[in-house]
Amino acid sequence: MAEFIVEATVRNELGKNAARRIRQTGRIPAVLYGGQAPPLPVAVNTKQVAAILRSEAGRNTIFTVRIAGHEDVRAMVKDWLVDPVKGQLLHVDLQRVAMDVRLRVKVPVHTFGDPVGVKVQGGILETVTREVELECLPGDIPDEIRVDISDLTIGKHLRAGDLPLDPQKIRLVTDPDRVIVHVVALRAEEEAVPAEAALAAEGAPAEPEVIRKGKKEVEEEEGEAEERSREKEE
Amino acid sequence: MLMPKKVKYRKQQRGRRKGKAWRGGSLAFGEYGLKALEPAWITDRQIEAARVAITRFIKRGGKLWIRIFPDKPYTKKPAETRMGKGKGPPERWVAVVKPGRILFEMAGVDRETAAEAMQLAAHKLPIVTKFVSRAEEF
Repeated sequence: MAEFIVEATVRNELGKNAARRIRQTGRIPAVLYGGQAPPLPVAVNTKQVAAILRSEAGRNTIFTVRIAGHEDVRAMVKDWLVDPVKGQLLHVDLQRVAMDVRLRVKVPVHTFGDPVGVKVQGGILETVTREVELECLPGDIPDEIRVDISDLTIGKHLRAGDLPLDPQKIRLVTDPDRVIVHVVALRAEEEAVPAEAALAAEGAPAEPEVIRKGKKEVEEEEGEAEERSREKEE
Repeated sequence: MLMPKKVKYRKQQRGRRKGKAWRGGSLAFGEYGLKALEPAWITDRQIEAARVAITRFIKRGGKLWIRIFPDKPYTKKPAETRMGKGKGPPERWVAVVKPGRILFEMAGVDRETAAEAMQLAAHKLPIVTKFVSRAEEF
């Protein structure tokens, strides 16, 4: 695994205006927390962080944060914020990592092989869970968990408990009964005709039921109040 | 057509559509998706038309998720009606979509098939959209 180094500078100005100014310089605001030291707002190089997130180990990569005027820190990306339209990184949370303390991480599960249920029986392979949570030492974090699913037939599934993990080093935190992938039979083809008919049908659709309970009470109260006011006027 | 089973009030105010979709902007179920790049009210008919276009194209195989639901009623006054006399009757149901929102997701098909199906669906929608895949996301 390649060793990543992220260059960072301490942020003195906080708030969205300062954050936007940082983003214009090819860096993004970040916060470094965890361990014994207090949280530290920093600005990091966007390309370096993006390279880490796109690497094989992805979010579980442990890298060095080189902060100007501070000692180097081992850290990993805990969370990140992406612009929903542009897809650019906006902010990252970096967590300090002690190499002798067990931590909980989410590791992707990748399957390989054509299941019998798909190739021979004509079913569909459905992925239910894409990552599982593990507890282990930082040095033992696997990049991914690869499982052969060639033997899966229709109706059979692979559970988290079936994943090949080293029990001496890694503890599965996710429920062992949680389904990872399963092969399901194809449903009958959806009826296209009623859908077409529905599309062709003009006019407003039937209205849904309105929850009247609260409204009735309010209306009644209003009615009573009006009656009282009329009586007073008389 | 998609619509709520039960509502608290028959009519709603129009609201605003400023900002981006800070929720529902990443793929949650499938491998590929269609992302909105503009704000819009997507009607129940448009959602249904897009769904039909996708299911017809992929025929058998593949799985589709619809990530938006038309839960907002919009009203319309009848033709040749003078202004005033209150808000009109509910006309149809719409989903409020902001830029960045994932509209549809697919799995169980290859990338080319998914892209083609999503393009057909995009033609049924009133906004500019983008095809996205899990491999391209962070």
